[in-house]
Amino acid sequence: MIDRAIFEDLQSKIDEEVAVRDELHEIVQTLARKGRSTQATLSRAHSTPAEQLNPVLEAATKEILAQKEEVSRLRSIADKHPFYKYNGVWSRELQNLISSIELCAWLGGLQEYKSSSSASFLTMEEVGRFLDIPVNLKEEDAFHLTLEEYLLALISMVEELARLAVNSVTLGDYERPTQIGNFIKDLFSGFQLLNLKNDILRKRSDGIKYSVKKVEDVVYDLSLRNLIPKGKGV
Amino acid sequence: MEKDPSNPTTGTKRSWEGIPLHSNLSTLQSSTATSNMGESSPNMLSMFGSFCDELDSHHDRRERLIKISRDITALSKKIIFSLQRVRTSGTPIPASITKDTQPRLTQINELFLSAIPDITSLNGYRYLRQISPGIQEFIEALSFKHYLETQSLITLSEVKTHLPPQILITEEDYMMGLFDLTGELMRFAVTSLSAGSHTDSISEEGNGENEGEPRLPTLLPAQAGVVRDLREIRAEFESITIPRRGNMLRDYWKKSEVMQASVEKVERAAYGILVRGSERPKGWKPDLSAGVEMEIY
Repeated sequence: MIDRAIFEDLQSKIDEEVAVRDELHEIVQTLARKGRSTQATLSRAHSTPAEQLNPVLEAATKEILAQKEEVSRLRSIADKHPFYKYNGVWSRELQNLISSIELCAWLGGLQEYKSSSSASFLTMEEVGRFLDIPVNLKEEDAFHLTLEEYLLALISMVEELARLAVNSVTLGDYERPTQIGNFIKDLFSGFQLLNLKNDILRKRSDGIKYSVKKVEDVVYDLSLRNLIPKGKGV
Repeated sequence: MEKDPSNPTTGTKRSWEGIPLHSNLSTLQSSTATSNMGESSPNMLSMFGSFCDELDSHHDRRERLIKISRDITALSKKIIFSLQRVRTSGTPIPASITKDTQPRLTQINELFLSAIPDITSLNGYRYLRQISPGIQEFIEALSFKHYLETQSLITLSEVKTHLPPQILITEEDYMMGLFDLTGELMRFAVTSLSAGSHTDSISEEGNGENEGEPRLPTLLPAQAGVVRDLREIRAEFESITIPRRGNMLRDYWKKSEVMQASVEKVERAAYGILVRGSERPKGWKPDLSAGVEMEIY
């Protein structure tokens, strides 16, 4: 004898979950659309000399702040449900946003959120403060930024910086590749401290060494030809 | 920049004439590396140091749960194996078999208890993927036992009473467990069909078109029950609507196909017994396993 109520219950639970996913998905799509325009703005950095970068950073900051509003909306909905049940819906877009934030910060934007003006990136706590979301929660089941998401965002940022090193040279900026090289080598040595298992973090962080190499090659080409400005960087 | 990408950080750099540039490069690297060390590196290293501890404990937790899940799966499989020796449904499991299954159920309970510290609050859903296989296999065993005893499906709330309350049982795991149950019911039905004899009397079920001819063979009521229940489970599962996008119930489609095959196998077996069974001498047992396989694949 098969009790039909069992399957009716299952169906109603599935419908509930679909409704939650749809609601989250709608916000994430808006976040993604705004994210693409942030990235488009930031990618102008590849063709803008450092001294003319301010308008680009201002525009990017404005767009990042618009994304921040979506994150708040997301948080208000996601907080009602178990965090890791739906985390996959937004994780990717949140990473993209954080990578934009970090890139913007590295280029000199978002100064007021850094620990010091010389800092080149935002720590996980600083990102959390900026976005007004908790980070790395261990006990409480609420919306937050996870450590993995933060690290993955840093890796995306490194990839973008490696590209910037090449393009800086094209723009006639021979100083920036060295700065980039120092920064990502620093990050690389940080990632080497981690014992990574066979997961996404491992796969992505394996890519950092290619970025490091890309930038080293640029720095090497420049130094070989004595093109690096004296007294700076090296 | 066209160097061998397989060995990027240690590859030998060469000038355009192909002369290795070892010395040149290493001085360059060390000078750039040291220049910035004093400023940001210690920060970076201490930040990553704390990340490292955290990732380590995450991996440890993950591996502990995978191991627990595997142990639960193995024990559940053994329980199912013992239960497949049962020949009748709707009656309590014989003592000779509960003697095998009971200690294993106790062991499983202990394993679940040992998993609790790793899956409290936030971590329940975080490590769901790691512990799910064990839970599903356990639900399969539990629901099979329940079916043998009562000829009905176990409900989700009944499943929960067999586990420590801290263990998260999702609808998904429950559904996947029920899917697997259809496979066990198939095996149970096929063996009991081939072992049991058919009767000449019409069972309560009856076959619509054959009602006028009382001499035709029919299945024993218990056998007919399994066939009917399997068919109903299939119909109920097929009436469930699940969106095909996203990551929801990702195993649903594969398991659904397996279930359909199982149900068909049993229907074929029942058909074979009915049609050809009457032509066979008393006591003759058809080699169902092979015959059925052939007709399905």
